[in-house]
Amino acid sequence: MRSPAHSVLPARGLRTVLVLALTAAFASAVPAAEAQSPAQAPAQASAPIAAKPYMGWSSWSMQSSKYPGLNDKGDYSYLTEANVLKQTDALASKLKQYGYDHVNIDAGWWMDWNWKQGYDEYGRQKADPARFPSGMKAVADRIHAKGLKAGIYLPAGLEKGAYGDGKTPVWNAEGCTTADIVYPDLRTTNGWDSSYKIDFDRPCAQKYIDSQAQLIAGWGYDFLKLDGVGPGSGKSGDQYDNVADVAAWHKAIAGTGRPIHLEASWSLDYGHAADWQKYTNGWRIDTDVECYCNTLVSWENSVDDRWDDTPAWTGKAGPGGWNDLDSLDVGNGAMDGLTKAERQSYATLWAIAKSPLFTGDDMTKLDDYGLSLLTNREVIGIDQSDNPPARPVTPSDPQQVWAAKNADGTYTVALFNLAGSPSAVTADWTALGFTGKASVRDLWNHENLGSFQNKITEALPAHGSRLFTVTPKGSALASTGYEAEASGNTLGGNASVAGCDACSGQKKVGNLYQGGKLTFNDVVVDKAGTYLVKIAYISGDSRSATVSANSGNGTGHKFPSTGDWGTVSTVSVPVTLKAGANTISFDSGSGYAPDVDRIDVPKSPR
Amino acid sequence: MENHPSRRHFLALAAATGALAGLPSFSASAAPQRSTEPLAAPRHRLWWQAPADDGSMITQGLPVGNGRLGALAGNDSGRELLLVTDATLWTGGLNDTLDSDGQFPYGRADFGSLTLLARLTVEIPDHDLGAVSDYRRTLDLDNGVVEASYVRSGVTYRRQVFASRPDDVIVLHLGQDGGGRYTGTVTLEGTHGETGGTAESFAGSFANGLRYGAAVKAYGTGGSVRVSGSHISFTDCRELTVVLSGGTDYAPDAAAGYRDPSLDPLALARGKARAAARHSADSLLRTHAADHRALFGQFDLSLGRSTAEQRELDTWARVQARAATGDPDPELEATYAQFGRYLMIAGSRDSLPTGLQGLWLDGNDPDWMGDYHTDINLQMNYWMADRLGLSQCFDAFTDYCVDQLPSWTDTTRRLFQDSRNRYRNSRGKVAGWTIAISTNPFGGGGWWWHPAGNAWLCQSLWEHYEFTGSRAHLEKIYPLLKGACEFWEARLLTTTLDDGREVLIADSDWSPEQGPLDAKGITYAQELVWILFGNFRAAAAELKRDAGYAGAVGKLRDRLYLPVVSPKTGWLEEWMSPDNLGETTHRHLSPLINLFPGDRIRPDGSTPKDILDGATALLTARGMDSYGWSNAWRSLCWARLKNGEKAYQLVVNNLKPSANGSNGSASNLFDIMDMGGGRGIFQIDANFGTPAAVLEMLLYSRPGHLELLPALPAAWAASGQVTGAGARGGFVVDLSWRDGRPTEARIRSVGGRTTTVVHGNTARTVTLRPGQSVTLRDFAR
Repeated sequence: MRSPAHSVLPARGLRTVLVLALTAAFASAVPAAEAQSPAQAPAQASAPIAAKPYMGWSSWSMQSSKYPGLNDKGDYSYLTEANVLKQTDALASKLKQYGYDHVNIDAGWWMDWNWKQGYDEYGRQKADPARFPSGMKAVADRIHAKGLKAGIYLPAGLEKGAYGDGKTPVWNAEGCTTADIVYPDLRTTNGWDSSYKIDFDRPCAQKYIDSQAQLIAGWGYDFLKLDGVGPGSGKSGDQYDNVADVAAWHKAIAGTGRPIHLEASWSLDYGHAADWQKYTNGWRIDTDVECYCNTLVSWENSVDDRWDDTPAWTGKAGPGGWNDLDSLDVGNGAMDGLTKAERQSYATLWAIAKSPLFTGDDMTKLDDYGLSLLTNREVIGIDQSDNPPARPVTPSDPQQVWAAKNADGTYTVALFNLAGSPSAVTADWTALGFTGKASVRDLWNHENLGSFQNKITEALPAHGSRLFTVTPKGSALASTGYEAEASGNTLGGNASVAGCDACSGQKKVGNLYQGGKLTFNDVVVDKAGTYLVKIAYISGDSRSATVSANSGNGTGHKFPSTGDWGTVSTVSVPVTLKAGANTISFDSGSGYAPDVDRIDVPKSPR
Repeated sequence: MENHPSRRHFLALAAATGALAGLPSFSASAAPQRSTEPLAAPRHRLWWQAPADDGSMITQGLPVGNGRLGALAGNDSGRELLLVTDATLWTGGLNDTLDSDGQFPYGRADFGSLTLLARLTVEIPDHDLGAVSDYRRTLDLDNGVVEASYVRSGVTYRRQVFASRPDDVIVLHLGQDGGGRYTGTVTLEGTHGETGGTAESFAGSFANGLRYGAAVKAYGTGGSVRVSGSHISFTDCRELTVVLSGGTDYAPDAAAGYRDPSLDPLALARGKARAAARHSADSLLRTHAADHRALFGQFDLSLGRSTAEQRELDTWARVQARAATGDPDPELEATYAQFGRYLMIAGSRDSLPTGLQGLWLDGNDPDWMGDYHTDINLQMNYWMADRLGLSQCFDAFTDYCVDQLPSWTDTTRRLFQDSRNRYRNSRGKVAGWTIAISTNPFGGGGWWWHPAGNAWLCQSLWEHYEFTGSRAHLEKIYPLLKGACEFWEARLLTTTLDDGREVLIADSDWSPEQGPLDAKGITYAQELVWILFGNFRAAAAELKRDAGYAGAVGKLRDRLYLPVVSPKTGWLEEWMSPDNLGETTHRHLSPLINLFPGDRIRPDGSTPKDILDGATALLTARGMDSYGWSNAWRSLCWARLKNGEKAYQLVVNNLKPSANGSNGSASNLFDIMDMGGGRGIFQIDANFGTPAAVLEMLLYSRPGHLELLPALPAAWAASGQVTGAGARGGFVVDLSWRDGRPTEARIRSVGGRTTTVVHGNTARTVTLRPGQSVTLRDFAR
C-alpha cells in the first residue's frame, strides 16, 4: 500500500508536479549523479521507502538534554542551522559509509528561543529566523549536498497558533480558511493538546495537509516525523484519534510526488497497528527514550522499557514499516549516561528488533567505543538484512534470550542480562528448535567462538548483552504437544476453558488469576532432566505465572505481552522433569497469569 | 608431615605448651616453611558463571581470609576488585560512659564498628567482560583458593586469589596459557580518607588511636611493572602477581589499652609484602594450600549422591533448582556445610573471632557494627567448630573472652550498679563480670546490659572443653566461669513459690529481644545459670580448685527455679508467667536454650514428659520460617528432638535463594537476613549454625553418651559418611550409614575415656585411652 512511486522533484516554486514513476529495478539503475543537482532538491531514487529500517541522526536527544553546553539559549535550543550542519558534516564523514544517511530535524524549527511558534500567511510552520537564518530549504540542500537525506518534523493537527482567528487562508485552496478545517468547538488533539483537531469530513481539511506536504516537499525534505499522534502519545478516545490525520498525510505526500518517509510518533496504540502499517513507514512503539536529564538518556528512564514493550510489536514490522524504538544514543558514554554494557545492549536490541538506527548523539564527539558500536557492520547487517526481527524465546525475566530464525537456516541470538549485577545467561538450542551442536559467531567481537553442544552460556555484565549468529549442526527438535484444554488437565480457582481462534484446537485455558491454576497431568518424558518447555500463550499485557513440575515450588516467570487477546506467542522455560509421568503447573498466585494455549515438551532435555 | 599435623598431634602439642597463646594481631612472623606439594584435587567446589558486581560484593563476592586479613573478590575479567578487611580494624573504644538509661551507647564512634581496610583494584581494560567468553569462577574449598578463568581471542586466562596465613598476605595471581598478555593498573586505596600514601602503601589512624597500614607489591613475567603516580602499571605481562599485606597495632591486652605501641603497621605491611614478593605465586599458593588443607582435611562429609543433572549446574543455578524443584541435592547440602568450614578457617585463626559478618564487609557501616552479639550470634558462630573438625578455630573465641575479661570485670564492677540501670542487682551488690548484648574488641559493650550473656559465653567455652578434653583450655576459661558464678551469686534473688518452695531466680532482665524489659526469673537466665553452676562445679573438680566455693555454687544450683509448662499455652514458659508476653514466632529460642545448646531437656525419658512436650510445643509454635540463624537454631532443636524431617526442612530453608533481600542464601552462599523493604544484609551466623545443625542430625553427643544418626532425614538416609566429627566427652567419630542405619562407626579418643554409643535399641559402652580408637559395626534397628 505504501507508495512504490519514485520521483524526481521539480525545482522549487513550480506548482506543477512532475511525477516520474520508476520501477525498483530501474531505480537501482539510475546513476546517482542524476539526482545530485542542488538546484533541484534531489530525491535519491533508490530502494522503495523503508525497504529496510532507516538509519541516521535526529536532533531531539541533544535538544532535550540538560547536558552542559548543549542548550545554552534555553530548553531545546540546540536545534539551529549551524548545529544541524555541523552534525551533517560529522555524519557524512564518520557514519555515512555505514549506511547512516538521514539528518532529521526534530521539534522546534519553527519556534523561537522561547518556544513561540511562527507561521506563514497560510498557517503553515515557518522557520524561525534565529534558528535557521538560511531557511529550511537551504538546510535541506546542504544535507543533500553531502549525499544525505533530510528529515523534518511536524505535530499532528492544526496548531493552535496557526488557527489565527479562523480566517487564515489555506494555501492553494480557494475559499478555505482555518475555520473550515477544524471542529466548530475547537476541540484539541495530539499528545500535548497543542493543536485543534482537524475534521477530515470537511473538504478543506485535506487541503491544509496538502499545503504542508507541498511546503516540505518543495523544500526537498525526504522524511517527516509526525508527532503527538493518537491513539497513542499518552492519549486515547475519539478526540485523540489521529488516524485520519495520518491517512491525510499519506495521501498528501503521494500528492507531492516526492517519496517522503512518514514516521508516526509516539507510543502508538497497538490496536491501530494496521492503520500505522497502512499509512506510515514506521511508528514509535514507546515513549521518548530521552531522560530529559543531565545526560541524553538513562538506563531506567527509559531505555530498559523497550525490552518489555517491543515483543508485542515484533510481528508488525517488515519492509515498508518498522517498529521504531527511538534514538540510539550510544555514541558517547559520558553524554549518553550509560555504561559500556548498557550501550551495547541498547544497540543490540535496536538491531535485532530491526528498529530504525538513528543516533541522537553529538557525532562530533563520538568516543572510540561509541564509534565501534555504531559502525559494527555485522550488527548493522542484522538490522538491515532481510531476516525477520528477533523476539524473546524466553520469558521477560532479568536474564532473557531473543532470537530470529534466518532465511539461511542460521539464528540470530541475543543474550540479555537486565539485572543490576553480572549474571550468566544461557541460550538453549532446544528453545530455538534444534538439538545437538551449533557453531557460534560473536558479532560484537568479530570472533568465531567455536562449536557448542546444546547451549551456550556466557557471563554478562549488569545490563549486558551478547549477540551471536548460531549455525545449527545438529538435528531438528521433536516435541510432544499438550493442549491446555485437554480433559485430563486439572483447573484450579477460576481457571476455565475458553474459545480462541488463534489457538491450536481453537481453545485455551484462561481466567488464571488470583489463585487460578492449570495443571497438565500426564507429561511423559523418557529421561530425567531439564526440558525447555515451549509455552504457547495469549496475554494482552505482560503477566506472570509460576511454572512448576510435580511437587516443586516452581519458578516465577514474566510473560511478554502478545499485544492483544487474540494473538498467540511462545516462550520456552526450563522445567526439571523426572523419567515417566510428570505434572506441569501454571499458577497465577495472587496476581494475573496469561491464558495458556498449549505446551510443547521436547523429546530431549537441555 | 610437618605441614599436616594431625588433630591429635595438634591437641597434644597444645596440651604440652599450656595455653595456646594467641599471637598478637599483626606482627613480624618467621619465614614460613615452604610447601612444594601440589594442590589437592578439589573435591568440594562452588562455581559460578558470572563475576560479582562492584555494588553487590556482599552477595556475589567470594571470600578469602587468613583468620585476620580477609577479602571479598569480585573476579570481573576486566576489573578485579578486592575489598580487604582486617579483623582488628575497629573504631570505638571502652565505651564506659553509660547513656541516661544506664545502658551503653551504640554508635560507630563510641562503641565502634568493624571497617574495611582497603580496596584493591586491578584494571585490565582489554579483558572487558563483554569481550570474553567461557567465563567461570570457582571457590575451591579444599585448597582455599578462588579461581577465575575466561577466553579472550583464543587465549585462556586464569587467576587465583587466596589469603595466606603462612605468608600473612593476600595474593592475586594472573596467569594464562597461550601467548596472552596483561596490560593495566593496580590501585590500592584506603577507605577512611587516608592521606600521604603512595601507589604501594598507605597508613592511617583512627580517633581511638588505632594505627593501621597496608602495602601492595606487584611483580610479573615478561612486560614491565612500574609505579606510575597513584597506581602501579603493568604492560604486556605474561603473568602478574599482586601481594597485599596490612594490619593494625591492635593488641589483645586490656592492660595496654588494646594497643601495642611498638608495632608499626605500615612498616610491617611493607615488609610482609616485600618478603612474599620474593616468592613465586606458585610457591605462595602451595604453601597456603598446604596450611589450609591441614585444617580442611580434618573432616569430611557425604550426605548421599546427587543426580548428574544437579552436578552439571553452577552453584547459583543449583541453589535455585533446589528451591524450584524441591528435590534434595545431597552433594550441594554437604558442600554448603563445607562452605561454613571454609569460612571458619578463613575467618577465625590467631586473631579476633568472627562477629556478625566475619571478615567480610562491603562498606564501613555494617549493620550492628559487624560486632559480637552475645545473645546468640557469637555463640552460634562457634557451634560448628568442634562438631565439624575445626577445634583449632575455636581458640580465637576463647582468646577473645580471656583477653576481654579484665575490661568486662572492671566495667561490671564500676557501672552495673548504676542507679539508672534497670537491670542492676536489686540486692545492691555486684561481683564478677558480665557483658552487654554487643561487645567490641576494646573491652567495650554496646546497646543494653545482658546479664545472662556471661553464662552463655561460659556455656560455649565449657562445651569446647567437653569436645577436646583440653586441660589447657579449661585452665584458660576457669577465671571466666568463676567470675560469672560470682556475678550470679550476687544477683540471684530468693522468692517463694505458690507451693511454698523457696527458690532462686534471676533479677530483672529481658528475655533476649522480646517481651517485658523487667521480668524476673526469665527461663533464659534460669537455664543458663543452671548450666553455668554445673559446669563450674565440674571445672573446679577437674582442676582441683576452689572446692569450697564450688560446693556453695552447687547448693545455689540446687535451689534454682526451673521453668514449668504454661497451663494456658501448653508451652514451656519463657517469662515465669503462664502468659505469652511476646511474639509467638519470635526469632529467638531463648527459653529453649537447655534443649540446645544445653541438653537438660532430652527426649530420652530423663526429662519429665510435660517439660518435653512443653518445649516441643513452644518450638512448634515458633514456626519453620524465620531468619537464617533462627532457622539454624530451630533445626538444631528439632535434631535434639530427633525430628530429622523438620531439622532438614530448616536447613533447606536456609538454602533458598535470596531474592530482593529475602531470607536465604545469596549467590555466594552468604546468608541473607531480610531487613524489609527489599533490603537484605549478610549475617554470617547461619553459615556457621546450619552446618552445626547438619552434624547434630547425624551425631548427638554429651559426655558419656554418643548417639549415631539421631535425626537422619529421608533425603540423606540412602547412604552417607562423616569423618572427623567431634563428640563431647573427648572423642572424634567417623561414621558411615546406609539405608538409614549405621554401617560402621569408628570412635577415636582425643582425651575421652568411656562413652556409650547408641543407635536405636543398640547401646555399647566403649572405653579408650587417648589416642586409641575402636570400630563398631552391626547396628540393629
